[in-house]
Amino acid sequence: MWENMSLEEIKRCADDPFPSIRAWKKEKRKKVIGTTFADVPEEIIEAFGMLPVTLMGTHKPLKKAQALLPDNACSLARSNLELVLSYETDLFDGFVLPQVCDTTQHLSDIWRINVKNTYFESYLAPRQTDRESAKYWVRREIERLKDSLSDFSGIKMKEENLERAIEVDNENKRLLKEIYRFKSENPSSLTNREVFSMIKLSQQVDKTEFNESLKKIKEKLRSGTREGYTDVILAGITCDPLEIYDLLDEIKLNVVGDNLLIGSRYLQGEVDPGEDLFEKLMERHFKRGFFSPIHGNVFAEFEEIKRLYKENNAKAVIYVHIEFCESQEYDLPDLKKMVRDEGIPMHVIETEYQTTSLSHIRTRLQAFFESIKGI
Amino acid sequence: MSEKPKKELTKSQMLSKKITEEYLDQAFRARDEGRLVCYTTAISPVEILVAHDIIPIYPENHSVRNLTAKKGAQMCSFVEGMGYSSHLCAYARCDLAYRATGFTVTKGIPEPDMFLACNAQCFTLTKWFQVLSRKGGGLPLFVFDTPQYIRDRRAREEIIKYCVIQLKELISLLENITKRKFDYDKLREVMKYSAEASILYKKFLDMAQYIPSPISIFDALIGMEMTVYRRGTPQCVEYYRTLCEETEEKVKNGIGVLPKDKERFRLYWENLPIWFKFSDHARLLGSYGGVILTSLYVHAWSFEFDLEKDPLVTLSENYVSRFSNVTIEDRIDMALDLFKRYSLNGMLMFMNRSCKAVSFAVPTIKDMLVKKTGIPALVFESDMGDQRFYSEAQIRTRIEAYFETLERLGLARKPA
Repeated sequence: MWENMSLEEIKRCADDPFPSIRAWKKEKRKKVIGTTFADVPEEIIEAFGMLPVTLMGTHKPLKKAQALLPDNACSLARSNLELVLSYETDLFDGFVLPQVCDTTQHLSDIWRINVKNTYFESYLAPRQTDRESAKYWVRREIERLKDSLSDFSGIKMKEENLERAIEVDNENKRLLKEIYRFKSENPSSLTNREVFSMIKLSQQVDKTEFNESLKKIKEKLRSGTREGYTDVILAGITCDPLEIYDLLDEIKLNVVGDNLLIGSRYLQGEVDPGEDLFEKLMERHFKRGFFSPIHGNVFAEFEEIKRLYKENNAKAVIYVHIEFCESQEYDLPDLKKMVRDEGIPMHVIETEYQTTSLSHIRTRLQAFFESIKGI
Repeated sequence: MSEKPKKELTKSQMLSKKITEEYLDQAFRARDEGRLVCYTTAISPVEILVAHDIIPIYPENHSVRNLTAKKGAQMCSFVEGMGYSSHLCAYARCDLAYRATGFTVTKGIPEPDMFLACNAQCFTLTKWFQVLSRKGGGLPLFVFDTPQYIRDRRAREEIIKYCVIQLKELISLLENITKRKFDYDKLREVMKYSAEASILYKKFLDMAQYIPSPISIFDALIGMEMTVYRRGTPQCVEYYRTLCEETEEKVKNGIGVLPKDKERFRLYWENLPIWFKFSDHARLLGSYGGVILTSLYVHAWSFEFDLEKDPLVTLSENYVSRFSNVTIEDRIDMALDLFKRYSLNGMLMFMNRSCKAVSFAVPTIKDMLVKKTGIPALVFESDMGDQRFYSEAQIRTRIEAYFETLERLGLARKPA
């Protein structure tokens, strides 16, 4: 299904992966478990022979979710709820929803009550990360998820299955990193849209199969020119719709680093080998950069953006703000100030899952990069 | 024009004034006396701070004073000019405006030395305190992380263990900062006061069960202030004892917020109040024979500490299970209990645009409560503190129409 995909197919599939997931499910007769951002250990779900699919909203019209959520609820939350209530109503056998902020916490209940007849589990991610107790808690939650999936599936998870899932997922991240690095050094070899579509799709399809596509793509990569490209850093939580990458491609902006969930924060998630795999999964939680608007302090996010900017010799930072994301909204004023005080040009794109006006973003992006020409 | 005669203060009001003044005086003197000031969330295990002689300050309460004085729009718009969104919590926006301008209708609050955020209330407070911590140059911020108290026995046991570990971490942090050993005997004593005050506070709230009710939610909101900021002290116990005595006296004499024959709609309120419409709403509803009696919000401080247990365990059990941190199903059960005990016959469901944590579930809670009680609900959207999002005419019209509906359905109370 996903082992021999062309770049064009990957782009198309990343935009709407559900028809192919449906076909895969029918063919393999396996269960599909929906999850949302962030931090659910996919490997545990995979070790039970199920497919974890990270939901990243729909661009189809809202019909039901509006009546269930406040008008100013995070648009990703609204969009994901709509997806399962109106569009992919029978695809999922169950859901594991992480609670990382107020929105995801309360969304979990609304989801469970309104999406009936499926397995449901909450993954209670810690909302503090700098103390020993957070480690204790992550380990407990990973173990609880394993037990819950075991109850649901009626089977015991085999250690070797978890080991295999970790290997496959690690390979996926390594392949993506190599392709990402190659693209950033050879901007004309691939588009931003293609690279980020690969990262997005990796979180939605069977990685054993998809890794085969990635290997073939990697083998075919040929050096490209840097001429005419401007290197930039992408920051935020997610960057959606994928058409935003088309805009970056259109004005020849080359993403050389990022701290997105559908980006480097996913790629940082390799699990180290070891005897106690649960311990290793727990350590991974703390090893990767957090999606800092939720957990972190702005100082750390600023330092990370500064490091990415300097190490990659980028020309600017593009920050993607999902409208109505409270966490980002508390951080942004200080973050903007820190970045600008450092002399780093930064442009903020406002996105909303259903109504993002791309022409508006295009005009502002063009104007911004015109203004920094020569820096 | 002659001056409006001042209403004589009740004994509990005088006591509240005295306790509040003493508390703030003490807080402003803290630095000089070598004591620390810790900003904390209204729902947080403050008993630990009190036991360690650290003065808790609640920026939310300070914001409420400004919002009640109708300064919300002015203060919130100032903060929007600083780059903060109008979607953020009105308490936070109001507080950030106070930090930037020094404007307040009160004497202000002392600067913090550290922060304690408990996310059983909401995660917004953590983000707000992060902003303040940064402005203070990176002051210590302890997040007491309380995962949602989901309906799963094993998960609940683990959550309590996780919370107890964190409280021990908090105690270690306080010992490190103050260079003083934590006194568990002192904590037990503080817990005793907290437990007693909570029982009395709940007794006071529950007097709204009487017909006519001697108190409305507006009395409850005023009475609530003391349990928020003086929990764990003998003064708090004394205050609630006095308040209960006064309210019992009203019950004995049949004194209600509305006279018995006029009390036709006994209402439930979902969410925080609209602070700047406090007295207007009481008058408006009263003119139709309506009185809001209760909400889960005012009951958030009805703790049931078990003094037989390890103090850290009972603290964890109580703080993690507040209405704002349980599942919607548990919230429904809590509300239904109030409907039954308080003989409620109407519900006002407020979608508070600047408190998403509480408002997120309101449409679902409304649907389930309507289904289970058979009572229709009035849903309306506004903001707890920012007048720019309040439409007077619209809300008035909807309230009128709502009471007519209750009347038509035969749900209004008939005079005895």
